[in-house]
Amino acid sequence: MDSFSSHSSMGSGSPQMSTEDLKDQLKTQLAQAYAQEFLETVREKCFDKCITKPGSSLSGSESSCISRCVERYIEATGIISRALFSAPR
Amino acid sequence: MDPSSLNSAELEQFLSQEKERAMVNEMVAKLTSACWDKCITSSPGSKFSSSETSCLSNCAHRYMDMSLIIMKRFQSMN
Repeated sequence: MDSFSSHSSMGSGSPQMSTEDLKDQLKTQLAQAYAQEFLETVREKCFDKCITKPGSSLSGSESSCISRCVERYIEATGIISRALFSAPR
Repeated sequence: MDPSSLNSAELEQFLSQEKERAMVNEMVAKLTSACWDKCITSSPGSKFSSSETSCLSNCAHRYMDMSLIIMKRFQSMN
């Protein structure tokens, strides 16, 4: 059951969802979907780069690698974004 | 929900904007993933080296160049 149906009007007198509410709800759900997808990619990339030989626990160097990896991947996204949409060739 | 609001021009415009945003988002995500693989070959450091930064930027630009070539080539085949 998706969150839309909890707002739908089933009978007379119940509140209807305005276009504004619908737009807000869509925007929120889209933002959440984008964030989830991004996180999944970061997990994949950083697992590849940082956990080369899985041990019985995460080592300190693996943990710091992961932290740096997340920061670098976010930075890379910005670099690509700017290259695509602002910097001239 | 008022059915007429589902057909409103306002909602249509909103949806087409969000569609475009989604396409942009997908392109950035795909390209970042591919360029990361090509350019970041060693363990991530506390900042990018200048060669890593240029590689990432070049990667995006060359992808666009390639895209153009492919389109032109494809069109010339019709």
